[in-house]
Amino acid sequence: MERFGEGYLEERKLVKRWSGPIPALVSLVFTLAIFYLTWWIFQDPRGLMRMYTPYVGYMYCRWWLIMMIWMVYIFNYWPFKRKWLETTHPLVKGSILTLISVVILVALIKGFFEGLLGNYGLAYFNPEQLEKLPGVTSFFAIEYASLAILMFAAIASWLSPAWVVAFEEAPWQKLTQPAKGFSILIMTFFLSTVVYFVTMHPHMGILYHPWQYFTSIAPPYWEQFADTVSGNFHISWIMCCTVVVWLVETIWERYPFNLIKNDWGRRFACFFGIIAIAVAMHFFLYFAQELTWGEAIRGTRRAFAPDWRWLHVGEMAIFFLVPALFIAFYCNNWPRKFSMPVNVMIRTILTIVGAIALYILYYKTSHNFLGTQKGFSHPQQFPMIPMIWLVNIWLVHHWFMDNWPGWKMVPKTAEEIEADHTAHQAQIDDIRWTPRFGAGLGAGVAMGVMFYFITLWALPYVYASVNIIPGK
Amino acid sequence: MSDNMKRRDFLKGAATGVGVGLLGAMGLYSYSPLRKQHFTQVERKGADIGMCKSVKVTNISETSWFDNGNLMGDIKGAGGLLVNQYDYNWPPFGNGKGLGKGSYEEGIAQIKHLLPGRLDEAWEIIKANSVHPENAGGYAALVEVEEMSGQKHKFLLDVGWSYKWCEECFKREGIDKMLENKEIEALFFSHEHFDHFWGLPVALKYDPEITIYIPEGFYPEGLQYIKDCGHKGKLITIQPGLNKVMPGMASYVFAIPIICRVYGEQSLYFNVADKGLVSVTGCCHQGIIRFAETAYTEIKYENDKCYGIYGGLHISPFEDWDPKYDDLVITLGDYGFERIGCNHCTGVLCAKKFIAAGYPVVEGTARFRSKDKAYLGNGDVITFG
Repeated sequence: MERFGEGYLEERKLVKRWSGPIPALVSLVFTLAIFYLTWWIFQDPRGLMRMYTPYVGYMYCRWWLIMMIWMVYIFNYWPFKRKWLETTHPLVKGSILTLISVVILVALIKGFFEGLLGNYGLAYFNPEQLEKLPGVTSFFAIEYASLAILMFAAIASWLSPAWVVAFEEAPWQKLTQPAKGFSILIMTFFLSTVVYFVTMHPHMGILYHPWQYFTSIAPPYWEQFADTVSGNFHISWIMCCTVVVWLVETIWERYPFNLIKNDWGRRFACFFGIIAIAVAMHFFLYFAQELTWGEAIRGTRRAFAPDWRWLHVGEMAIFFLVPALFIAFYCNNWPRKFSMPVNVMIRTILTIVGAIALYILYYKTSHNFLGTQKGFSHPQQFPMIPMIWLVNIWLVHHWFMDNWPGWKMVPKTAEEIEADHTAHQAQIDDIRWTPRFGAGLGAGVAMGVMFYFITLWALPYVYASVNIIPGK
Repeated sequence: MSDNMKRRDFLKGAATGVGVGLLGAMGLYSYSPLRKQHFTQVERKGADIGMCKSVKVTNISETSWFDNGNLMGDIKGAGGLLVNQYDYNWPPFGNGKGLGKGSYEEGIAQIKHLLPGRLDEAWEIIKANSVHPENAGGYAALVEVEEMSGQKHKFLLDVGWSYKWCEECFKREGIDKMLENKEIEALFFSHEHFDHFWGLPVALKYDPEITIYIPEGFYPEGLQYIKDCGHKGKLITIQPGLNKVMPGMASYVFAIPIICRVYGEQSLYFNVADKGLVSVTGCCHQGIIRFAETAYTEIKYENDKCYGIYGGLHISPFEDWDPKYDDLVITLGDYGFERIGCNHCTGVLCAKKFIAAGYPVVEGTARFRSKDKAYLGNGDVITFG
């Protein structure tokens, strides 16, 4: 039987072409160069296509991420054959797969959202329909439509990988492609639609004057809790979900959910665990802003506005994704020599340090070379776009190009695949409940709580000592 | 179990526990009411800026541009809201090369020799070289402050954009004569944006020696433009924060980024006897609530009351809308303003939402190309005190 790309990522061996950190550094330089070139071509307000308006650029950026998740995680490279994936030069493979992802992307946005939904369902998905409203300029009609489409993308970019990572493709894991891919695609798209209607449609409904009381929930149910009628409250936790699903999949190796032996217990625990962790991040990162900038005041614009603070939670969360993926893609998920919990803890610490450093670097410098606005809270300052754009480049490089030129792809032998499975299982089996583990867990919980309160105490002082925005 | 195994087990548990404890605390505590004990009470500085008897604002022009579609079309066509404002090829810096291909140096070179006196000739050149010269209007206001002694002081807040439109408005309100007679003591620039700043030669034509106050953050082009327009008076750059001007009047500079590569905005506070705080703004990019909250923490004012506000309140300048603007409409009522005069970048829709919410909006006459009575429009006057 013909074998397509299923299992390709797991069964490929990436062999370094040079020793030490050189391949990682080469990859970083190479991908950053591609990032900057493509940023200039597509996104930069001073560049060629100038899609960073910001929502138009963000919409394409966000859906492109999902296209790659669909192609690789859900459809396992179908309809490409395994042999083709193994033997084609990474540059050719990367170009073809990227081109296909872009074709699907454009078809989805222009055909499905703007054409079908916008013309026959919800008018706000189509800029031309929106322009029929008196007083709405072409610019904002396009921005509103892009906002709605990208809000959908934010949800889909959490749920699409979550079905693979948490639900392990169940109940369709034994189906062959493309049946499996279509089943997961339809399920995650359906769930995305439900979440969209509950979290984002009321936001779009109150965008009109008068509020669309009879077609959406207005005022929205979250108003009192979130201190805003804006849907940014939901953007916040959904963005955190998007990030956490990748933390769980990469640097956490699905720990501790992989300790649960019951299949459905593990899957539900992982799916809802991701949401719980994301909600914890969502609340904490909001609180962190209150500690550094002062309490939010409803009705204000910019940095003191609750709606922006929620949005900024999502913006902060995205900074965690970048170092985590770098560790996973280019550092072979270093370290691997300790037990799984200790490895996970070290990688998490590295990710937190990397995220903070990247946050400071971004806000200090990005306006100089990305064409974005200086400062934290301006509507034209959207760190999610360049961060996700960079992640997209890395996904192309890692998934479509096998980390070329720093690494060379060699298919693993059956013995190597078996050895990997055994080693992974051994790492999981290595974690058992013992009195010492229990004592450690208790001590760790106490340390974690203590660390949390130390962080609360230190944050205002640390923030005050770092001048992130030049000329602030 | 060996000691090594025990140690390893303890470490595995501890590493897991740190994550559980940390995430648990983050989730359970961070948004609980308990978090509020970590907030420090706002320390009110209560700076004394003195007191004045009244403030009167005459709207010289609030129609900074005449057509949103044209303005946004230009902005979009030139590359979006982050493009340097001197590059759009808008008047007066047209170089004839088209949208988004302008430059300060090339534009000013065409007209510098005519500034500030021969503005009609300059405008003919500008019209031929610029994008949408007919769309340029401008924002400018005359602020008259009466001291407790009865003595009156006049200040200009901003000078509009189009030389042609601005001159027409100045003449209509008699500003030209006031400037010629040196009745106007100083010119305050709220910020560097085209529609507030680029009409400068019209003011300098009548009084080139007027004192000018600008917020810190003007770009080299803006500073050069002040010189190139023929300014011969004092130029004072105000640092972020409070700046006392005269008894009962202060300006406040907010260090904030604004579209089209502009940075920093200066707004005016007045402490009006028996009434309370009056706030006058050009665009209020800092936001009305922040403007009011800043006054609360920084200065002392009568009755501890926010009494009135005038100006562009920067909510939906392009008549766009966003649910977060409704947060403002819902919340503004909590601040107790008794006289709200708004225009320019407030957005007509926003003004109508204020009126629908029952707020004390002082309506206008919709004359001289102002579009709606929900605004205090061109030629309209509001007094506080």
